[in-house]
Amino acid sequence: MTEITGTAGVPPASRNASTEVTAKPSNSAFHEVGRDGRDPSEDEREIKELERVWACPPGIYGWFTDTDHKAIALRYVVTAFVFFLFGGIEALLMRIQLARPESHFLSPDLYNQVFTVHGTTMMFLFAVPIMTAVGIYLVPLMVGTRDVAFPRLNNYGYFVYLIGGILLYVSFFLNTGPDAGWFAYVPLSGPGYSPGKRVDIWAQMISFTEISALSGAVVVIGTVFKMRAPGMSLHRLPLFVWAQLVTSFMIIFAMPAVMLASSLLASDRLIDTHFFNPAEGGDAILYQHMFWFFGHPEVYIIFIPALGFVSSIVITFSRRRIFGYTAMVLSLIATAFLGFGLWVHHMFATPLPQLGQSFFTAASMMIAIPSGVQIFCWIATMWGAKLNIKTPLLFVLGFVAIFVLGGLTGVMLASVPLDLQIHDTFFVVAHLHYVLIGGAVFPLFGAFYFWFPKWTGRMLSERLGKWNFWLMFIGFNLVFFPMHQLGLKGMPRRVYTYLPETGWASLNLLASLGALVLGIGVLIFIVNFFWARRFGAVAGPNPWGADTLEWSLTSPPPAYNFQRIPVVEGRNALWDQSTEAPVVVGLSSTKRETLVSSVVDAVPELRYELPGPSIWPLLLALATAETFIVGIFTPWAFLVGAVLTFAVFVGWFFGNPNYENVDAKQPPDETNFASEDLRAEEA
Amino acid sequence: MHSKKAKFVSRNGRALLMLIVVVSACKREQRQFDPPPTTTNPAIVQSELQPGGAPQPQTSTKSPVEENANALSDGKRLFSLYNCTGCHANGGGAIGPALMDETWIYGSDPASIHSTIVEGRPNGMPSFRGKISDYQVWELSAYVRSLSGQLRKDVAPGRSDDMNVHRSEQRVERKTPQQSTIPKAAEQP
Repeated sequence: MTEITGTAGVPPASRNASTEVTAKPSNSAFHEVGRDGRDPSEDEREIKELERVWACPPGIYGWFTDTDHKAIALRYVVTAFVFFLFGGIEALLMRIQLARPESHFLSPDLYNQVFTVHGTTMMFLFAVPIMTAVGIYLVPLMVGTRDVAFPRLNNYGYFVYLIGGILLYVSFFLNTGPDAGWFAYVPLSGPGYSPGKRVDIWAQMISFTEISALSGAVVVIGTVFKMRAPGMSLHRLPLFVWAQLVTSFMIIFAMPAVMLASSLLASDRLIDTHFFNPAEGGDAILYQHMFWFFGHPEVYIIFIPALGFVSSIVITFSRRRIFGYTAMVLSLIATAFLGFGLWVHHMFATPLPQLGQSFFTAASMMIAIPSGVQIFCWIATMWGAKLNIKTPLLFVLGFVAIFVLGGLTGVMLASVPLDLQIHDTFFVVAHLHYVLIGGAVFPLFGAFYFWFPKWTGRMLSERLGKWNFWLMFIGFNLVFFPMHQLGLKGMPRRVYTYLPETGWASLNLLASLGALVLGIGVLIFIVNFFWARRFGAVAGPNPWGADTLEWSLTSPPPAYNFQRIPVVEGRNALWDQSTEAPVVVGLSSTKRETLVSSVVDAVPELRYELPGPSIWPLLLALATAETFIVGIFTPWAFLVGAVLTFAVFVGWFFGNPNYENVDAKQPPDETNFASEDLRAEEA
Repeated sequence: MHSKKAKFVSRNGRALLMLIVVVSACKREQRQFDPPPTTTNPAIVQSELQPGGAPQPQTSTKSPVEENANALSDGKRLFSLYNCTGCHANGGGAIGPALMDETWIYGSDPASIHSTIVEGRPNGMPSFRGKISDYQVWELSAYVRSLSGQLRKDVAPGRSDDMNVHRSEQRVERKTPQQSTIPKAAEQP
């Protein structure tokens, strides 16, 4: 076991007698020496070694094989943001089309594709991945470890996601964009009414993003449960990490449902199965159930990480500990549980038994409680505090305002009679954008402003940030508030145009002007980004005076994250740090080694060597791509894909197991250290 | 170093763009929603077609829809809407000949089927001239050909949303068309 040493007595994690660790004289230079007592030249040598061991291979090959969670996460963020821009452009196209009645800017067929690709992009290629991406960057830093639990799986997840996104957009530009709505209900999306390969592209793109989300979730859960720094027991976990953990569990339970739905749809379309054909004993409503069993939790999969951003930002900018930590954590978990029990409120317009209607109405209203608890906890945290009003906090305040409105219309939609009246109208469009943009995009932009200094080493401009916020906030409300009214006046969603006599024209024009303002707001963010990359003020390690561990590192953090893994002494790791700042010593600097700790109390258990760069994840992603993309045209692709995947697995698992990381000069007892521990654990 | 990388990227980008342009040449996904109307007052035309082994008229008309999934899907729907099923059933044939087998009396190429629908045929097949638009005739004839697997599988329709009596058109095996002589039942006494 790894020893833990602090100059100031025993660190919290080793107070428990049974976990008292014995010093193993493996690396005598580091034995029993705290941070302050170190020889600076030793320090330098260690850093040099770490830099060499954790370096990414050079060139394009390095780009494809790198396993550094920070590099992968930033790629994820940038890719997802590019998709966000694509989705935004599609939104603007729709708003131009709807700005006046009987417009012929887009043809009805193109309009169908545009709104479907817009919804699909925003939900599957932007919202879910970018939340996971921010988590993949920050979770290892916040829990104090050197990389994520399964670095290669992480890399694989990114490539699968990228290929899925490219598939959707290449086919969109080839006039093969899906056109049956982002939830692709049968029978409209079935073989009878969606000819061609448009819906197949949608179905397989879903498979890509789901696989990628599942990989991300497994990576996050593994990291949070087993790789926390000593002292960071579960009740000291930052709320951000809690949010990511809860989301990851939701992903694992929700995503298989939609993958099943989309796969069954694809097989109905390609090989004549009858899952959704009532005439042959199938069930079209089954599709809706399977989709929304995923689809509703997905809203929370998008929203809960955003709650994590909000908590981090509120704590930092109120310069206070969070009010009601336990209540916050329990609300997160309650939201996750309840989130699985209310999917049917999307289907109130289908024939449901009375009991079902009442149950799902009650469940939908109940979920307002944990959300309310969190809102009140944040308000209590900020209440009377000397708020440091910077752009991230502005976005959080905007989030609270918008999200409360979205929540109120949510409660309205949860009641069956009202829902039947406004089902499939613009009211629903307004509601879903209030909760998703209010609940996820605003906190996300806050998070961008908050963590941009950590990611790049430079600060985004506050001045541009304020412009960005106010334009987005005003623009957003201008676009989506009139839509409530339009919905109540009866304007259905997904119509490509309307007649002047309907009286919807002026509100639609207002919404379109709002879309322009919102678009300019996002544009200012992009300008700010490029400005800050070049001219932004240099950030330093902790520009905001925040409390979590990532702020103890340089900005951007080194490839190995922590030269020495810290010992956590309180819930707000940096604020609670004693002056001695105890650290873990004894981890090897000559290989990619990190600490594995127990699930609940984060008691160190063993040293573990993480796998390094490898080409196999990319090859596996390509094998997956072959399976799903060729599978659109012939079922034989799955057979070929199975063989390819198996071959890649053989290479991945039985090929060269990461020997490139091991330093040959290392004494044998040092290199075998981790495996010895493993054997001890098994015994 | 940096510019080299940029060059590499731009060269590959251009190759990718070329590939996209080539692939986009496929017509499968095009959708025509307002096909040109047929003339409302057609002149009376006498058929020059002969059954059996007699030489077929040389038409240069190419089907505009054979590679278009949407048109085939329409053709499938029109096949029941215009009551083709009344005589040909779901392609298996009833009082009219089967359409999903390899036997063709009046030719299996798109133009022949087109004229079969437009002109009608002796002993039962009515003429649809002036009744349905030319574009729909092409859609129907393409669909009829897909019944025996004459079209590309990624264009042919999938299964129907009702009781399925045969494999979907995208999964039937292609049958080599054979010119049949006039069936006995159709011979004049």
